[in-house]
Amino acid sequence: MSAPASPGPTSEAPLVLPPRPRTWPRRALTLAALAAFTLATCLPAIGGVEIDLGAIARNWRHGAANLSALMQPNWAFVPRTIQPMLETLQMAFVGAAIAAALSIPLTLWAARPTNPNTVTRTAVRAVINVIRAVPDLVWATILVAMVGVGALPGLLTLVLFDVGIVVKLVSEAIDSADHPYLEAARAGGATQGQMNRGLALGQNLPLFANQWLYALELNVRISAILGIVGAGGIGRLLDERFGFFAYGDVSVIILEILVVVLVIEAASNLLRRRLA
Amino acid sequence: MTHDTQAAEAGHAPASAAWPIRLDGVSVIYPNGTAALRDVSLTIEAGEMVSVVGLSGSGKSTLIRTVNGLVPVTSGTVTVGPHTVSGLSGRRLREVRGHVGMIFQGFNLAPRLDVYRNTLVGRFARAGVLRRLLGVPSARDRQVALEALDTVGILEKVWARAGALSGGQQQRVAIARALSQEPSIMLADEPVASLDPPTAHAVMAELARINADRHLTVLVNLHLMDLARQYTHRMIGLRDGELVYDGPAAEATEADFEQIYGRRIQPPQRPAEQP
Repeated sequence: MSAPASPGPTSEAPLVLPPRPRTWPRRALTLAALAAFTLATCLPAIGGVEIDLGAIARNWRHGAANLSALMQPNWAFVPRTIQPMLETLQMAFVGAAIAAALSIPLTLWAARPTNPNTVTRTAVRAVINVIRAVPDLVWATILVAMVGVGALPGLLTLVLFDVGIVVKLVSEAIDSADHPYLEAARAGGATQGQMNRGLALGQNLPLFANQWLYALELNVRISAILGIVGAGGIGRLLDERFGFFAYGDVSVIILEILVVVLVIEAASNLLRRRLA
Repeated sequence: MTHDTQAAEAGHAPASAAWPIRLDGVSVIYPNGTAALRDVSLTIEAGEMVSVVGLSGSGKSTLIRTVNGLVPVTSGTVTVGPHTVSGLSGRRLREVRGHVGMIFQGFNLAPRLDVYRNTLVGRFARAGVLRRLLGVPSARDRQVALEALDTVGILEKVWARAGALSGGQQQRVAIARALSQEPSIMLADEPVASLDPPTAHAVMAELARINADRHLTVLVNLHLMDLARQYTHRMIGLRDGELVYDGPAAEATEADFEQIYGRRIQPPQRPAEQP
């Protein structure tokens, strides 16, 4: 690796560069390891996943029949979907609102600048990580078993799911930023509570609002399928119609979910641009 | 300073008297092993305006932060007025800090919040238990904060977002925040290092005026020797965490500064740069 000694029109002596650090062997090794790992997971002999691409060719006729059934929505079914759809939206909004309220203190307790106490901060983070580690459908199944079939277990699932997302993302964003205004308040004799409520919350409100809106978007999407495990909303109807092979009805429900999700996303994007 | 006399006439508590600062054999060793201050002893009388000069990393910021306990001392004692800062914690430390105003190089305002809310931070230490819980300022808190903004001439920006102001304006708001504490000591950590020269002079003049009018003890870290000479009465020099100079600021010569810095102020001429 020698320095390119190309004397330009103005320079009299060639530039002397310090030796360039050799990074390519490391990069090549990383790539090779990744490739080897991917290949290994495909080997059935060592317990790799078995993916039978032939199934597509064998069953395509079946799939095509179903698809063509789905292509003919049964519009007469629309009135029966309105009530469950409203229940789904209600779950999504109420869940997001409750989660937003809960996320404020939890987030401030989970971030280092707003909670210098290592013990309580670690405890809050541990609880949040456990909540996040359990998939939403698993929460819904557990909660249906605990409180019974209906909208309540769905709502609780959404709250848990949202709190996990908002607290993690916002507390990490707070952690990674500098907060010199907190040092000034500390120097002036403020308590941590005064700093958090009087400064940190107002200063970081856009971070919160962004994630609250994101949680709302996710809620509409998730609450549409929570009904499959009995947790209320349009998902229960979807599951029922699917059980009767009423693909025309299923098609209507899917289209409706699509429209609602798009509308919510557009509204939330609009709000978010306002916040920036 | 008409509002001071008005406040006195209205029967408010009199502006707190200035406090002396005393450091006794103070050493600070950071957890990573860096010795930031080595056995520094000095006394600053109440009402003095003192500058601290030295290279970056000489311990200036550490020295000023031991006065309000932002940096705990490893050994020695720091005394401000009737309080020994070293060893204090919790409520007692916050109470002492309430009497010590501080401004910073980066102004340290919350940019999204308005000037009003940033200034009221100076009243946090005086809030009672209930107000601390509810976060609602008292009528007197509002009065003191707004008067402080008026003193530094930025009252018309009271509803502006702090982040929308210029550097000089932000530093004025930071001074108003410190003044709302009705402090006995004012600390300034490189208050003009991020400002252009005319703004820097304006801010230094503001500090000198506060020192003269309110008889506050002012301790200010500075990079520029001209500002130290022009605005402060006494100059303290630090090198590698040791006190190497202590004398009247006005008479400090370039040789004194080179002694503090431990190297020449002007670089030796490089042959390539000669015309």
